[in-house]
Amino acid sequence: MAEAIQKKLKLEVEKYTQMQKDVSKSVSARQKLETQLAENNIVKEELDLLDTKNTVYKLIGPVLVKQDLDEAKATVTKRLEYINGEIQRYETLLKDLEKKSDQHRELLSGLQQEFQKAQGMAVGKV
Amino acid sequence: MAEKGKMSNEHLGGVARLREEQEKVVKDCESRIQHWKKLSGDYEALNDRLKTLPDQLSYDITVPFGPLAFMPGKLVHTNEVTALLGDNWFAKCSTKQAQKIVDHRMKYVKSEMDDLSKTMKNFEARVGLTKDLENISSGKGDYIDIREDSRIIEAAVTKGRKRIAHKPNSKPKLDAILDLKEEEEEEEEEEEEIKVEGGDTERRISTITEEELWARLDELEKLEQQQDDQDRLSDNGDMNGEESSSSEEEKEADAAPPVNGQSVKPSWTPAPHSKKPPCKDSIAEEDDEEEEGHDLPTILFSHTMEPKKVRINTGKNTMLKFSERKEQHSKKKKKNGLNNGHHELHKITTPVDIYRLFVDVKNGEPIPRKSILKSRSRENSVCSDTSESSAADFDERPTPATASRRRTVPPPSHCSPASRFEAFSGTVVEKDPMPTAVPHLTLAPPALPTIMERKQEEVASEVAPPQEAPKRVSKFKAARLQQK
Repeated sequence: MAEAIQKKLKLEVEKYTQMQKDVSKSVSARQKLETQLAENNIVKEELDLLDTKNTVYKLIGPVLVKQDLDEAKATVTKRLEYINGEIQRYETLLKDLEKKSDQHRELLSGLQQEFQKAQGMAVGKV
Repeated sequence: MAEKGKMSNEHLGGVARLREEQEKVVKDCESRIQHWKKLSGDYEALNDRLKTLPDQLSYDITVPFGPLAFMPGKLVHTNEVTALLGDNWFAKCSTKQAQKIVDHRMKYVKSEMDDLSKTMKNFEARVGLTKDLENISSGKGDYIDIREDSRIIEAAVTKGRKRIAHKPNSKPKLDAILDLKEEEEEEEEEEEEIKVEGGDTERRISTITEEELWARLDELEKLEQQQDDQDRLSDNGDMNGEESSSSEEEKEADAAPPVNGQSVKPSWTPAPHSKKPPCKDSIAEEDDEEEEGHDLPTILFSHTMEPKKVRINTGKNTMLKFSERKEQHSKKKKKNGLNNGHHELHKITTPVDIYRLFVDVKNGEPIPRKSILKSRSRENSVCSDTSESSAADFDERPTPATASRRRTVPPPSHCSPASRFEAFSGTVVEKDPMPTAVPHLTLAPPALPTIMERKQEEVASEVAPPQEAPKRVSKFKAARLQQK
């Protein structure tokens, strides 16, 4: 009895740790996105500081590719939109994960109590 | 104390942990601010260089050539800079534009630093607070934790107890077969009100101690007992002489005790006669109209006689209530003088009946009387709302009979003010058993006019009589039902 519960408990704990990993992963991804958002915001503002005579380059691999200023601005705004979308996606994902982990935590605590009970009974029998 | 120690230990652990975390946050903020400071310094240097760079057309410099070597070289195009904007975006621009960009970056850095310093201050304050908390919980330091154990205050209990004291009185009513819980409640309330009015300070609990209250209650009880004894003596004599049918009398006898037979016999005989005729009429009508009144006419007559008495009794009872509070005897006597005949008749039939009557008087009577009293007070204040409602109720139940009764009733009411009260109490009783009566619609129209009459009567202090008739009927019915 106690052993079966222990097995189950172990399995659930593993699942839970996996979930925690996912959570931390998505959190870090979100932080990265946050920094990228800030960076791109700065780029956009600085591009606004330039005038049309300035040449703008995009570093692609080892090469600097010349780009039009307007084009560059458009791509940066697009990039910003994308980043914002990603952030929102991660937000919902995080909420979901937190909910799941909460539920799992409850399940785990229940299992733990059961396990302790079973252990106590086993001890009592012995 | 041991528990407290444990608690404080756990608490201390939590506080220490909290402080640790907060300090961590503060340190983190500090390091980040350091980072931003360095960045801002770099930008300052860059800005200076950009300022001076275009001053000359070319510079002789040593150019780093790999990690190991430097080469002599020349810096040309001094006004041409390729700036990294971020995210792998580069822009070729003049030094002036580069300076703008640098200024923009500096602004950003400054805002970041401001934010960080704000959060740092915030957490430093929190650290100070948690330190204080630690000192408090550990009992060290200058702070003392003031704690008060909350205890249940039994201030409001007095009301309930007072009511309990009244309840014993109400119980006899139940014995008498009338299950008018609502009425009882009303009575209790009325009793309370009366006490307040009577000048008894019982209600003003705050000033009076419980002991005093109980002492006062005991006093009142003794007074009631004495009165009851007197009433019994007088009633027994009357009862033996007048009536042998105890059942009806018992039920109705409630009011009789208050009369406190002062020369009761003479007054009784005349009063019953005057009241009996109307009651008989009403009963006959009720029998015809209502299923409840199936009993034989003769029985009805006896009942009618009793109910009339009862009503009178109730009126006396009300008086008794007042007297109880103010010391009833004098008032009862006065009332008896007015309506003695009716009350005495009810009481006398049997010793048991008499006892019940007395009990009822105290318990049951108080209820109707109370209601009556309420109605009076209401009438005075709100222009007889209660009386109207009660009258309407009566009208609905015995519709045809009520009209006649009302008409018949007024004369007795005029004769004795107490009878009005009795009538009110009777109405209250009817509500419970009577509701089955069908002819509400037909009855309603007559009821309205009757109400008007009552109002007029009330104005002249004659309102009660119409209600008395219906009450009587209800009591009879109740008695019959009980008998069945």
